[in-house]
Amino acid sequence: MMSTIIPQIIFFTVLSFFVIGGIGSLLFRKNDVLANRWSSFFAIFGSVIGLFFVALIIINGYDISFSLGTLVLPLFSVSFHIDKLSAFFIFIISLISLFCSVYAIGYVKHFYEKYNIGFLGFFYNMFILGMLLVVSSSNWLLFLIAWEVMSITSYFLVIYDRQDPQNVKAGFLYLIMTHVGTAFIVLAALLLYKFTDSFDFRVIQANSSLIPLSIKNIIFIFAIIGFGTKSGIIPFHIWLPDAHPAAPSHVSALMSGVMIKTGIYMMIRIFLYMIWPVPVWWGLALLILGSISSLMGVLYALTEHDIKRLLAYHSIENIGIILLGLGGALTFLSLNMPTPALLSLTAALFHTLNHATFKSLLFLSAGSIINQTHTRNMEEYGGLIKYMPYTALFFLVGSMAISALPPFNGFFSEWLTFQSLFQGIALLPLYEKLIFILAAGSLAFTGGLALACFVKAFGATFLARPRSAEISHAKESSFSLQVGMGGIALLCLLIGLYSGHIAIFLENIVKDLEVFKNTTSFMSVSGQSIVVEKGFGSVSSLLFFVFFVLVIALVIGVIKFVINRNQKIETGSTWDCGTDLAPRMEITATGFSRSIIMIFRGILRPSIQHDIEYHDAQSRYLPKSRTIIFGLHDVYQSYFYQPLYKMINAISSQTKKIQSGNTNAYILYIFIALIISLLFVLWR
Amino acid sequence: MNILFLQFLLQVIFLTIVFLHISKKNFDAIWAYGIQSFAITILLLNSFFETGNISLLFVALLVLIVKVVLAPRFFARLIKKNELIFSVSTYLNIPITLIVIVLLCAIAFSGIFEPLTSIISSNQGLLSLALSTMFLSLFLIINRKSALSQIVGILSLENSIVAFAIFAGLEQSLSLQIGILFDISVWLIIATVFMSMMYTHFGSLDVTDMKKLKD
Repeated sequence: MMSTIIPQIIFFTVLSFFVIGGIGSLLFRKNDVLANRWSSFFAIFGSVIGLFFVALIIINGYDISFSLGTLVLPLFSVSFHIDKLSAFFIFIISLISLFCSVYAIGYVKHFYEKYNIGFLGFFYNMFILGMLLVVSSSNWLLFLIAWEVMSITSYFLVIYDRQDPQNVKAGFLYLIMTHVGTAFIVLAALLLYKFTDSFDFRVIQANSSLIPLSIKNIIFIFAIIGFGTKSGIIPFHIWLPDAHPAAPSHVSALMSGVMIKTGIYMMIRIFLYMIWPVPVWWGLALLILGSISSLMGVLYALTEHDIKRLLAYHSIENIGIILLGLGGALTFLSLNMPTPALLSLTAALFHTLNHATFKSLLFLSAGSIINQTHTRNMEEYGGLIKYMPYTALFFLVGSMAISALPPFNGFFSEWLTFQSLFQGIALLPLYEKLIFILAAGSLAFTGGLALACFVKAFGATFLARPRSAEISHAKESSFSLQVGMGGIALLCLLIGLYSGHIAIFLENIVKDLEVFKNTTSFMSVSGQSIVVEKGFGSVSSLLFFVFFVLVIALVIGVIKFVINRNQKIETGSTWDCGTDLAPRMEITATGFSRSIIMIFRGILRPSIQHDIEYHDAQSRYLPKSRTIIFGLHDVYQSYFYQPLYKMINAISSQTKKIQSGNTNAYILYIFIALIISLLFVLWR
Repeated sequence: MNILFLQFLLQVIFLTIVFLHISKKNFDAIWAYGIQSFAITILLLNSFFETGNISLLFVALLVLIVKVVLAPRFFARLIKKNELIFSVSTYLNIPITLIVIVLLCAIAFSGIFEPLTSIISSNQGLLSLALSTMFLSLFLIINRKSALSQIVGILSLENSIVAFAIFAGLEQSLSLQIGILFDISVWLIIATVFMSMMYTHFGSLDVTDMKKLKD
C-alpha cells in the first residue's frame, strides 16, 4: 500500500511545486526580483524532487497507475500511468529544467523593467508542468489538455520578447503549426476510441486487436503528422527554426532539448505500446523520414549565420537520428527480431538523453553570448574566447558532443545507432537492407557535416578577432549562468564516460515495455567498454578519455614548450600595401560553409545577390562597397506550404460567400444542418 | 387528465405558432407567446398530477412566473418604450409562408422521423405535432426580419422542445428545468438590452440593417 501511495504523493508534490512556482510568480509580478527568485526557486526544487521521484521509481521498479476518478465527463478521467519509459522522460524533463532554472536566475535579469518577469515565471513553470503531465497521463483527454498546456505556454514564452515583430510572427507560425499537429493527434485519438471504446491507454492496449490494419495505418500517418510537427520532422519543421530562437534562451534550451522529445515519447507509446503489432513499412518509413530530417537538418544548419537558428536546425537533425533508432526498432520487431530491435530503441533513447543535454548546453551558451553581444548574427562575433573563456569552454564541450566526438556523450549514442543500422544491413532481406544502408550513409554524412558546422560555429564565434565593437565590451557570464552551463557540460562528459552502464540501464527501461519482455540482449559492458556481440564491435569510453586527455596535454605541451619557445618576431617585406591584420580579413561563417553548400546546391538551391555601390554613380569606375547576400531558396515553402496556403485561401474565399451578414440566413443554415443531422442519425 | 385535453393543449401551442407567423402586430405576438407558455404550464401541472413529483409543481410555477408573466411584460415595456406596435416585414408573403408551414408539417409527420416520434408509440401523433412545432418555430426565426419576432421564435422553440420532452416521457429533472429557466431569464434581459441598443443605433429592429456590421 505504502509503495503506491508514497510515489503518488511525491509525484503530486512535484506538480504542485510548479503550480505554486507559476502562480506565486504571477502574484509577485510587480516585483521583478521577487518574481524571478520565486519562479526559479520552485522550478529548481520541483526539478530536484522530480529527479528523486524518478530514482524511486527506477530503483524500486515501480510501475504506478492511479486515477483521481471521473470528474464531470464519463470519458474523462485524471489518470496517470508511470512506468519506466515515462519515468525516463520525467528524468530528462527534470534534469534539464533543473539546470535551465539555475541559469534563469541570472539570465532573466536582463528582462527586468523591460518585460513582466511574473508572466515569464508563470508560463515557464506551467510549461514544465505541461511536459510532465504529457509523459505521465494515461487518458487521451487528459493528455490532450496537458499537450495544450505545454503548447500554449510555450507559445507565450516564444512571444515573450514581443518588441521584436519577428518574434511575434514566429510565435504565430508556431501556434498555427502546433494546432494543425494537435488536430491530427485528436483525429488519431478519436480513431483509437472508435475501435476500442476507451480513451484509456491501457484499455486501448488491451483491445488493440480490434483495430483493423487499414485504420492502424491511418492512425500512424496522423500520429506522424501530429507528433512529427511538434518534434520538427521534415517537412513539418517550418515553425522550429523561427520559434526556438525567438524564445528566451533558457526556454529555447527546454523547447529544443526536451519539448520536442515529447513527440518521440508519444510515438513510442502509441506504436510500441498501444497498437502493437504494426506492419514493417512503418519502421521503414520512419527510417526514411529520419534520414531526410537528419541530413537536411544539418545542411540547413550549415547555411545559417544566426547562432540560435543554427542550433534549432541541429535539433531537426538530431530528431532525425533518434527516428533512425525508433524506425530500426519498429522494423526489427515487425520482422520478429526483438534482439536488434532492443539495441535500436536503446540507441534512440540514449540519443534522446544526449541530445537533451548537449543541445540545452549549446542554447544556454548561445544565450550567454547573445546577452553580451546583443546580436544573434555570428558574422558579428569573433574572438569571444578572450572575453568569455568559460562560456567558450562550455560551448566547445557542447559542440564536441553534438559532433559525436569522443569522449563526450553524443559519440556513444550515435555509435550505438550505427551498430543497430549495421545489424539491419547484415540481417535483413534486400529491400529492407537497402533502406538501412541509406540510413547508415545518411547518418555518416550527418556526423561529418555536423562537425564542419560546429567548426564554423565555434571558429566564427570564439576565435580570431572581434568583428564588431560590441564584442570587445563582452564580459564573462554571471555565476548562475556558469553553474547552469557547467553542470550540463559536466554531464556531457560523465554520460560519455559511463556510457556503457547508462546504455545497459536504458536497455532495462526498454525491456520494461511489453513487446521486449524476455528479450535477450546483444549488448554488454566490460569495464568501461560497450560490447555489441556477434563481432560487430566494441568501444571503450575510458580509453577514449585517456586518449583525449593525452592529446590535450600533448597539444598544450607543444604550444607552450615548442611553438612559444621558438617563436620570434621577424620583420619582413610588407604585403597588401602594409595593411594591418583586421577582422575583415578573417573567413566568415558564410564563407566557411559556402563550399559545402555549393556541393549540395541541387538540394539547397542557394541564391547569391551581388550589390555594388560606386563612389561616382555616373562613371562607375571606383567601387565604394560590394555586398554579397547569400541566401537559400526555401523549397518547403515554395513547393509545399505556399501551394497549400493558396489552396486554403481560395477555399476560404469561396466559403466566405455564405457569410451574408444576415442572421436569418445563418439560422437557416442551422435549420438545414439540424435536419441533415437528424436524417443522418435516424437513417443509420 | 384526459388525453383529448392534452391534445388540445398541444394544438393550442401549434396554433399559437401559426398565429405568430401570420400576425403583424407585436403585441399580438406577445399575447400568443403568453398563451403558449400557459399551455406549457398546464402540461407540466398535468405531469405533476400524474407522477406526484413535487419538483414538477415547482417547475410549473417557475414557468408561469418567468414565461407567462415576466417575459411578456418585458416585451410589452419594450414595445411601448420604442413604439414598436407593428412588426417589420417577412421574407415570404403569407400564402407562401402557409405553404411552407404545410410542407414542414408534412415532413414532421412523414415516415422519415418515425424513429424519433415513435419513442412512445401511443403518443406518436402528439410527438409528430410537437416536432412540427419545433420546425415552425425555427422557420419563424428564419422568415421574420424583426429581432423581436426572432426572439419570440427562439422562446417558442424552447416551449416546443419542452412539449416534445413531456410527451416523449423524457426526464424533467428539477435542476435541468431550473437551469433552463435561469438561462431564459438571463437571456431575456440580454435580448431586451440588445434590442434597445439595436433600436438606438439603427432606428428599427430590422435585422437586415445589421448587414453593414459585416465589414
